[in-house]
This record gives sequence, structure tokens and C-alpha cells, in this order.
Amino acid sequence: MQRSLAPFTRVNLTVSAIVGAAGAWILYTFPPGRGSFYPRCVFHATTGLLCPGCGTTHALHELLHGQFGPAFKSNPFLFAVMLGSVYAAPSLLRGETPPLFMKTWFAWTAFAVVMAWWIGRNIF
Amino acid sequence: MNCPNCGTTNLDNASICANCGRPLSTPSYTPPPPAPSSYTPPPPGGSFGGATAAPAQIPNYLWQSIVVTICCCLPFGIVGIIFAAQVNDKIRRGDIQGAMVASKNAKTWVLVAFIVGIVLQIVVWGLYSAAILSAIHSGQFNR
Repeated sequence: MQRSLAPFTRVNLTVSAIVGAAGAWILYTFPPGRGSFYPRCVFHATTGLLCPGCGTTHALHELLHGQFGPAFKSNPFLFAVMLGSVYAAPSLLRGETPPLFMKTWFAWTAFAVVMAWWIGRNIF
Repeated sequence: MNCPNCGTTNLDNASICANCGRPLSTPSYTPPPPAPSSYTPPPPGGSFGGATAAPAQIPNYLWQSIVVTICCCLPFGIVGIIFAAQVNDKIRRGDIQGAMVASKNAKTWVLVAFIVGIVLQIVVWGLYSAAILSAIHSGQFNR
């Protein structure tokens, strides 16, 4: 149990569900891209390079429309994050840290994967 | 512990039920012991002597660091991931004090990344909005 994390109460979950549904509707209805109102990646705006999360808005929009191929092209890393989220959700809902996340090798692997993905997507 | 009213499993330190809101009867509840006033370094050899917290109670902020990295609050989120790895490593070696320090650092960097990210986001969004507005104003969009 983590004392620093607020446990997910009924109120927490209700607010999250409402915000999530509203966000999903906005993402589904309004396509991201040039001239859209979505927040921009600061790293991409300043350097012109892609950050590990770049393309997530596009990928989520495409996922909501059932286009898995284009979504994977927009940001394949998002799929890894979503897999991790599915694994972590039950623990996090109980207010606990997922056991795998407390492993040293996992933290360093996550660091290596993020860095490799960040550098690699800008080179290749 | 389980709520006596509705049976929902609650956190051990919860005072009311997360599901129905009834107060949970905790007759033998004792507040967590305060941190020792004088710091005693852990003895060599990696024993748990002098520990002030169980390893499971030290958050490593790994997933928060990754989320904040993905949300373009770079490069501070990466620092958070490194400290998260240190938390795990130090718990494994029995260095509870060191793990708590690394946990605190991870938390700080996640917060820094989050706040800097939000501020930069507002700045960039404002600049783009101003550019688009002035473009509309000067008639660049009238074909």
C-alpha cells in the first residue's frame, strides 16, 4: 500500500469515468492534426524531433475509429503502455504498486526501452 | 479489511468504507510510529535493522515517471525513471533509508516534470493560438 497515493474511491472513479468519456468523445469527434485545438508536444514544437509520446493523440483517435494499423503506425509504443496499463490497473485500483513495477530489472528495462524508442524513431 | 456493512475490501488504514461510507471499526488502530529523531545508518551487510518503513510502503513512482515522460514533459520524466530504478535496487539491497531518499527524489522529479510540462504546454498553445489568430486577422485563410 502506498500512503502517498490517494486510494481510488467511488468519487475518484466516477470523476475519472466522466472525464474519460468526455475525452474519448472529443477525440472520436474531432480529428487531430494541423490547426486542431489539441495540445502540442513541446519537445516536437521546439526541436522538430519526435518524443516517445509523439503521435499518441493521432493513435488514440484512430483506435477509437477501430483503425489498429494506422494507430500502430502513429505510435507503436502506446500499445506497450496500454498492455502495461491493463496489467497495472487492478493493483492501482487497490492503491498498491504493481509487483512487477517494484522490480529493479523492470525499471531499468523500461528506461532502456523508452530511450531506445526515443532515439530510434528519430534516426530510422 | 472488509467493511462490516457491505463487505467491500478496504485499505488497511481506511477509516470509512470506500463503497458505502460507513465508519470502519478499528478498535486496535494505532497510528504509524513516527520517524526516529536521530538517524541511524543501516548496518553494513544489508540487514533491515533501523528500518523505518517496510519495503512495500516505499513508492517508486515508476509508472508515474513513464506516464509523465510519454506526455512530453521531458526530460525530467526520464530522471524519475532512473530514481524509480534506484528505489527498487536499494530495497533489494536492504538500504531502506537510501530507498526512501530515492523515492523522494523520484516524486520530486515527477512533480517537476508535470508542472514544467503543463506550463510549457500553456505557453506553446498560447503561441500557436496567437499565430493562428493573427493569420486569420491578416486574411491568410481567405482563398
